[in-house]
Amino acid sequence: MAVIRDVMPAFDLLQPGSVAEAAKLLDQYREDAWVMAGGMDSLDWLKDRIKKPKVLVDLSGIDELKGIRQTSKGLEIGSMTTLTEIAEHPLVRKDFGLLAEAVSLVASPQIRNQATIGGNVSQDARCWYYRAGWPCYRAGGNICYADTPVGRNREHAIFGAERCVAVNPSDSAPALIVLDAEFIIRSSTDHRGVTAEDYFIGPKTDITRMHSLRPGELLTAIRIPYTWAGTKFYFEKVRDRNVWDFPLMNVASAMELTGGNIQRIRLAVNAVAARPMRLGNVEAAVRGKPANAATGEMAGKMAVQGAIPLQFNAYKIPLMRNLVKRAIVGASPRQAENALARDPGVQEAAWTS
Amino acid sequence: MAGMSAIELQKAESETPRPFGAGYKLIGKDYSTNDLVAKVTGKAKYAEDFRAEGMLFCRLVLSPMPHARVKRINAEKALAMPGVRGILTPADVPGHADYVNDNGTTIKANRWGELALTDEPMYQGEPILAVAAVDELTAANAIEQIEIEMEPLPFTTDPLESLRPGSSNARLDGNVWIPPQPGQHGGPQLTVLKWTEEDFAPYKEGRLPMGHAPEEWSYGDIDAGFKNAALVLDETFLTPDVSHQCLEPRTTMAHWQNGKLYLYTGTQSTFQTVPAIARWMQMDEDKVVFISEYTGGGFGSKITGALTLVVPALLSKKLNAPVMMRISREEEQFIGRARPGIRARVKTGFAKDGRITAVDMFLVSDAGSYGSNGDGGACGSITSLLYQPPAMRWRNITVATNTPPRSAQSAPGGMQAIAIMEPILAKAARKLGIDQVALRRVNSPEGKAEYGPPNHEGKRARVTSCYLKQALDYGAKQFNWQERVANKPKQIGTKVRGLGVALSTYHGGSTGFDGLIVITPEGRVRIHSGIGNLGTEALIDVHRAAAEVLDIPWDSVDIVWGDTSKHLPYTCHSGGSQTVHAMTRAAHAVGLECRQRLQEVAAKSLGGQPGDYEVANLRVSRKGGGAGMSFAQAAQHAIKLGGIYDGHDVNPDVNKATKQAVTAMAGQGLIASARDKFPHNGDSFSYLACFAEVEADVETGVYRIVDYLAYADVGTVVHPAALGGQVLGRSTLGIAHAIGQKWVIDPQYGVMVAMRFYQNKPPTILDVPVNMKWNALNIPDPETPVGARGCGEPPVGGGCASILNALADALGDNIFQRAPVNCDTILTSYEAGRPMQEPLVAHI
Amino acid sequence: MDFITWATGPWGRSIPIHIAWSLMWWAVIAGLGFMIVHALYVIIVAPPKKFAKFEKGVESANAGAIPERVQRHSLAARAFHWIMAVSMFTLLFTAFLPKVGVHFNWVLYHWIAGCVLTVSIVFHIIHASFYMDFWSIWPDRTDLRDASRRVLRFFGKPAPPPSRFAKYPLENKFYHGVIMLAALAVAVTGLFMMKRVETIFFTRNPYLFSDMTWGLMYVLHGLAGVGLIALVMVHVYMGIRPEKLPITKSMIFGWMSRDFYLEEHDPERWAVKGSSPSQEKRGYAASDAD
Repeated sequence: MAVIRDVMPAFDLLQPGSVAEAAKLLDQYREDAWVMAGGMDSLDWLKDRIKKPKVLVDLSGIDELKGIRQTSKGLEIGSMTTLTEIAEHPLVRKDFGLLAEAVSLVASPQIRNQATIGGNVSQDARCWYYRAGWPCYRAGGNICYADTPVGRNREHAIFGAERCVAVNPSDSAPALIVLDAEFIIRSSTDHRGVTAEDYFIGPKTDITRMHSLRPGELLTAIRIPYTWAGTKFYFEKVRDRNVWDFPLMNVASAMELTGGNIQRIRLAVNAVAARPMRLGNVEAAVRGKPANAATGEMAGKMAVQGAIPLQFNAYKIPLMRNLVKRAIVGASPRQAENALARDPGVQEAAWTS
Repeated sequence: MAGMSAIELQKAESETPRPFGAGYKLIGKDYSTNDLVAKVTGKAKYAEDFRAEGMLFCRLVLSPMPHARVKRINAEKALAMPGVRGILTPADVPGHADYVNDNGTTIKANRWGELALTDEPMYQGEPILAVAAVDELTAANAIEQIEIEMEPLPFTTDPLESLRPGSSNARLDGNVWIPPQPGQHGGPQLTVLKWTEEDFAPYKEGRLPMGHAPEEWSYGDIDAGFKNAALVLDETFLTPDVSHQCLEPRTTMAHWQNGKLYLYTGTQSTFQTVPAIARWMQMDEDKVVFISEYTGGGFGSKITGALTLVVPALLSKKLNAPVMMRISREEEQFIGRARPGIRARVKTGFAKDGRITAVDMFLVSDAGSYGSNGDGGACGSITSLLYQPPAMRWRNITVATNTPPRSAQSAPGGMQAIAIMEPILAKAARKLGIDQVALRRVNSPEGKAEYGPPNHEGKRARVTSCYLKQALDYGAKQFNWQERVANKPKQIGTKVRGLGVALSTYHGGSTGFDGLIVITPEGRVRIHSGIGNLGTEALIDVHRAAAEVLDIPWDSVDIVWGDTSKHLPYTCHSGGSQTVHAMTRAAHAVGLECRQRLQEVAAKSLGGQPGDYEVANLRVSRKGGGAGMSFAQAAQHAIKLGGIYDGHDVNPDVNKATKQAVTAMAGQGLIASARDKFPHNGDSFSYLACFAEVEADVETGVYRIVDYLAYADVGTVVHPAALGGQVLGRSTLGIAHAIGQKWVIDPQYGVMVAMRFYQNKPPTILDVPVNMKWNALNIPDPETPVGARGCGEPPVGGGCASILNALADALGDNIFQRAPVNCDTILTSYEAGRPMQEPLVAHI
Repeated sequence: MDFITWATGPWGRSIPIHIAWSLMWWAVIAGLGFMIVHALYVIIVAPPKKFAKFEKGVESANAGAIPERVQRHSLAARAFHWIMAVSMFTLLFTAFLPKVGVHFNWVLYHWIAGCVLTVSIVFHIIHASFYMDFWSIWPDRTDLRDASRRVLRFFGKPAPPPSRFAKYPLENKFYHGVIMLAALAVAVTGLFMMKRVETIFFTRNPYLFSDMTWGLMYVLHGLAGVGLIALVMVHVYMGIRPEKLPITKSMIFGWMSRDFYLEEHDPERWAVKGSSPSQEKRGYAASDAD
């Protein structure tokens, strides 16, 4: 049968007003339902007719999933809170600047206005073979088209490439792992919390999913404890374009220093494997050491141990090495440059001489 | 320069920049174009905005294979679905036929030509059938019920691979396009050509193999040139294949009424698209009404609309209902045309002072799936013009591949020439210890420079004029080149800075088109324009030349455009940066003609000789005061006079289409038409000197463009704001080639994988500096009455190459051998100290 | 019911990617069904075993020569069997547990177990071909004659009683044939499939074969795999049936009792050490067979 893209198929649009209602709908429709948060990932799938759900459960009408609340233990961010709101929220900026920075680097202002934190952490892989609807491992098949003798894999994984070599594309994920966030998950019968680290899963666990939500479950909130509030943060995203681009790689770290020595640290890198990688061994190795170039370089080298490049992504190894180094020692003249490159705002361009 | 007198040279060198608009009332001044309000308020109607009673929607079915034969189509189930109205298959599309062009020459049918639907798709994404239904969802659902049995055929997506012994050919009958042999009619012919394993030996070292190339020209003594060189560089470079990605895809709506086809789509020429439609539909031109008020970009891909426009036209006829064919971004990626990538190996000799002594250029051009292209040829010509090598050999082989069809894209071949040559000049300057600007100054053309291959008489063509040295000097001054070079920091932290300069040029105009003015009895000046409205503002701007001659306020002018039922004159298409040059000439000509007729009408009505009258401020007045008449009165008199004055007779110089337009409007007012017959003995080119500064982070390979300036020599500046838009907009298109826009194709299946913008990465507004700057010399071209030349294309190469040069300045000469250059290339090569990216593999 | 899961390939064509996983449940049902039917058959309808009398003199002449413990499986043969069993269970669990929602890094264990199985199969083929009585596992004319006699007698038709078994009963031989085919199918397809995943052996290259060939290979692997579910279930069931326990024990300890041997086996057809004049011909190696 002929294939056609770019025409959204028909489905029933269900717009629950509460989490309970949504959970009930998901329970009712199970595999037939598609959960849509901001729609930034969903609409691609639907428009390409690769996913054809019977019903679309649109969460945008559920107010209880929106907003940022302060609790005694930290902040609770509703899963339907937009990235713009998180990036601009004073409490996030005050205590968890790492997350504010990470989400402010996602895609473009227009997308950040619509995209949600729940969607950002639950989005699917952006491997171009998978997205083209090819029957690869991630799509339930038994082949990886990216890791072949001629596969085009510049943006793919350097770790854990036994079968699928797609990477997790989220910018907020490594920041949330570093901040030791807890993801609150609800279904019609249950609710549970998982650590940010465990929320993300790789092909070893399930090759067709990037997160640990089970059918019928909803991510309702992300709780960030004060554990790492106010520590020294570092976030950097490397991408081809200054806006509207997924990371070629990103790195996040939170570090507490005492007398120039690393008292405690958390470190995570994304877009190098199918799940964001927390670098536990590096964290252990640098603890107690001075946050200087030597430690940074040692950390960088350690981080890339075991990395295996594909044909077109060897650059990811030095990139990861350098980003991890920077996550410990910082990049030199960084703030001014990033501010300029990232967010020039509306300025009058010199379109006439 | 050879062939130029000392006086001419001195004159050329003594020219200095002039203020914009000096000596003019309209030309050189900023103003709001007549179409602006509609554009910014959303009232402008693009093809997709039109609706008609009972309109159906059609969707295309695209080939999933890069080369295949459609064996069987079973659409029974689809056609039985409610709401599905019909299907169009390759059998419904008129085949190839001979046709007669503008000049009355018969062009033979091209058996390798492209058709709107095909049963032997030559690339993934080629349309094979279309389904019409009451809405797009129904059409899409129906398409998924169509069974198409296809037999895969051999294919190739990499031109070099197709030259290897024993490799697949893109077409069943060949892989290489060769020029027609003497005595042969028609265009390029397809043949089978393979190189030997020995030819391919340099491939392993990342150098372009140089087997037999069917196209070649040369002039001068290149052996002597290399022998006398102080430095000889032998460089391989690969330029990217880049889709046009017009903001408006080639959406089309069509309906029929009283045997006439009414067709709505975007185009680069309202006037010239009608013959194309008639040819593709195999129908008479006078049965075609073409409406194209606004076009969302063309860049060479919509010169006469797009071939796929016949699909809704034929479906509409078949189903007797209006049909809208909206083209999605994914479809546009396939059918929307692209610039061919060129693999080049160039040996260049330099004297101690940086002067080029010889160039030996070898090119492998990717023709894509349909026809040959002129990019390789233009690449040679532009090189010979821009760097004025005293001796040059050019060899080219154009290879067919099963990739989307290529077409002209802003500065076709020129952009590639400059991207290939400029890094060589930059490297030479570093090796010879010469300032980059100085090295370019010594090589840049000036005055009536020669270019291209010698003709059959051994003579080479000349340009109209060139003041590129001045552009380079003034540009360097405005950019503070010397200060920046002197003050460039070595490295701050992990950041290194680099400066780049590049010369740039491309064709800037044609001649011989018509202008048409109607002065209405109400006193309005109505100018009919057959130019396509593709966003450059040339549609409106050029007519300022007519208004200037008539010395009238701009608000008295109405421009009629965008609908061929509105009597449009013979007009150039807006490709090859022709429009501003060609149509200011035509406008100037018709302005003069109109003034002459006004003077005659006044003389006939009020007495005296036409020369006794002057035209200004919407009046024809006796010189020195006395009797006169308004334009309204003149128009009324013209109608009374009839004949040549009101269109009952037509200026015999004009094209037959203009005659038809005039005749159709006879009696509406004073009608003037004229043809551009102004003399010239050179070819028009425009020139730029482009300057850039980049900052690269050696730990991430990420770089940003800190500053950019393009200094233009485009003759007289007609509309500064529009020119700025062109110079910087097209610079950005060039920059796209340097910083990231590309194709990614999986060679196993011959299928494109980077389909979305986030995958194929056209640049965003944040990827270019906020304060990009431009300037222009505003020195009029001596061979055209207004002095203006086109500037759509010339900046593209300079935009690309100045960034490449700045990167090499920052990071060293051993970083890249192909564009685009991204952090991956930079990071791995910088660490290794040599280019690490696959130099010759296509579409990575 | 679909037996095969199809997908749309990069060229828009339908290609098989694997079997429908529901077949796994059908295999389980088939295995259970066999057990139930067999158990009922044994309890309700099976006629008592009746073998032809030994030819005159055999019993008396050779009984004394037959050792108390009849050597049935050599250490090498037993090692092979149990290594194969472990790898087979590993393969089945790693293959099918993820399909029922138990997620773990199954591919690694699966291909390692597959390699172990393959190596042991290769060992077994060589061992059986050159060091054991190769033909002992294949049905011979007597087996077929006895089978027809058993069928005739089951339906009450007159037929002489069948003779005792050689080393392996006919059912055993059939089972071996079927499991051999299934195991070879999974092993051969599995080896090729290793080209598709990252292992220590090959550079990945999924383009070794066409999409269609690969698809069919995956289907064959899957069919053989679900077949093995049923076969292994039946095998385990047989292994724990009371009347078969002596055979199972012999796979652990290597020997069976003289009584069982004489009860079920024909020393003429399966000669053990010192039991038969034909010993010279077949030799002790005959006991080595699996």
